[in-house]
Amino acid sequence: MLRGLSRDVDPVSAPFAWETGPDGRRELVGPRVTQCALSRICGACAESLGRPIAFVGDDLEVARNAFHAPPLHEACAEGLAAAEPSWRVVRTAAFEFVRPTKDDLDRRPTFQPSALIDG
Amino acid sequence: MAISDVTEYMHLTDEQVEELGRELDRIREEVEASRGADDAAYIHRMIKVQRGLAAAGRLTLMLTPHSRKTRVPGAVAGAALLGLAKILENMEIGHNVMHGQWDWMNDPEIHSSNWEWDTAQPAEQWKHSHNYVHHQFTNVLGYDNDIGYGILRMAREQRWNPANLGQPVYNAALATLFQWGVALHDLDIERIRKGEKDPAEMKRQLGQILRKGRNQILKDYVVYPALSGPRWRTTLTANATANLTRNLWSYVIIFCGHFPDGAMHFTEEEIEDETRAEWYLRQILGAANFEGGPLLHILSGNLGFQIEHHLFPDLPSNRYAEISERVKELCATYDIPYTIGPLHKQYGQALRTIMKLSLPNRFTSSDKPPQPPTRPDSVEAPPVDKGRKSDAERPPRRSELGGWSRQQRAS
Repeated sequence: MLRGLSRDVDPVSAPFAWETGPDGRRELVGPRVTQCALSRICGACAESLGRPIAFVGDDLEVARNAFHAPPLHEACAEGLAAAEPSWRVVRTAAFEFVRPTKDDLDRRPTFQPSALIDG
Repeated sequence: MAISDVTEYMHLTDEQVEELGRELDRIREEVEASRGADDAAYIHRMIKVQRGLAAAGRLTLMLTPHSRKTRVPGAVAGAALLGLAKILENMEIGHNVMHGQWDWMNDPEIHSSNWEWDTAQPAEQWKHSHNYVHHQFTNVLGYDNDIGYGILRMAREQRWNPANLGQPVYNAALATLFQWGVALHDLDIERIRKGEKDPAEMKRQLGQILRKGRNQILKDYVVYPALSGPRWRTTLTANATANLTRNLWSYVIIFCGHFPDGAMHFTEEEIEDETRAEWYLRQILGAANFEGGPLLHILSGNLGFQIEHHLFPDLPSNRYAEISERVKELCATYDIPYTIGPLHKQYGQALRTIMKLSLPNRFTSSDKPPQPPTRPDSVEAPPVDKGRKSDAERPPRRSELGGWSRQQRAS
């Protein structure tokens, strides 16, 4: 168990920032997403982030450069992406945590990588 | 006041609040777009100066105690140089690097992920208690444990109890031992006392604190004094003086950020549905700046621009001065209070609050600016306990789907 969670954390099968919803699908937990963003911990293993920082998302998120899932270690991101074929991994040195505006229909915060690293 | 009253108090329409948010977004975008070599040179210069000061201080303390003629002036100079180095490292470098202000440089050393600072609190715990808890829940009673650091009653809305009579003493102890108070900050002693803290998490955090604290003690009170040979006591005393100076200075600067009279506290729990613009507004209302020249601002980690720091915690600190001019203009345009004053006045107000709130409310009057007009549907908020919420108790934003479901933005 880590950071007061009542369950164990596993970067791939039980990542920190996600919980399994009633329909069996993984759902991001809002406060944990914010915690990862500001505490600078990995959304999968909940340990301090490294460099580079990685994000996972589908083609649309990659094209918009705006991700819903929190920052991750590179290895954790690759582990998560291996289990979700639609996800790609993007690497960056820095990111912006963007809170939603009143006009956003999607009221989730996003992460915008601001110093992308190739490869 | 309740967060829902903020816009009422400001007499701003929803559209005006959003427009203010857009103006602040523009400032952010412009600064981000103009970040570059000059900014990188600034932080590299700061680190170079800080390391120079630290090396000069350590060398002075190593070389001067052996002669009767140089012992005292050497100890004074060494302690001053080392104290300055510690202040610069903690305030302008460590605090700001750990916010990610310099991550954009992609520098392997100057990065929020791996910076460890010269103070007893482990960086990881600082990033939780400060970057997350304090910056996300700024001045929200029951959430932000920086409101009195868990030992001081700093808001009239907090319930008084007889232990508060000792506040003047607790305050002096906190100021003197500030690095150790900060070291224990993320542990949440109150939760431990109530038996509510997860034992595994507590053990993990305690292990980190003990390792970091031991290394700090070894460095300043064993290894460097030993390098001075028979005159180790002089070096040990000078090191203790440097740490004390840093403690007192950082305590004063931090208390000036949120406890002068103009900085507001918030009581409502429904803060997770704030829009970005409302979040901006809460940061402006909950923080206070102080005036000073460039040197004062550098030595205070540019936290004299506390309002700007809370609006943009991850923009480079050397840009806060220019940002402050624009934020001040915006506040004037929208008729929003912008709390600022000289350092001595801001600290004086914080100290007065500490003294006054050691007594029950009926014995003292409030020094806060007028409260918002009471809304017809509002009820007076009940007193708030000093303790804070755990991560699990903080309000959920909403249940949300990860990469599997999303909606188009309206704009």
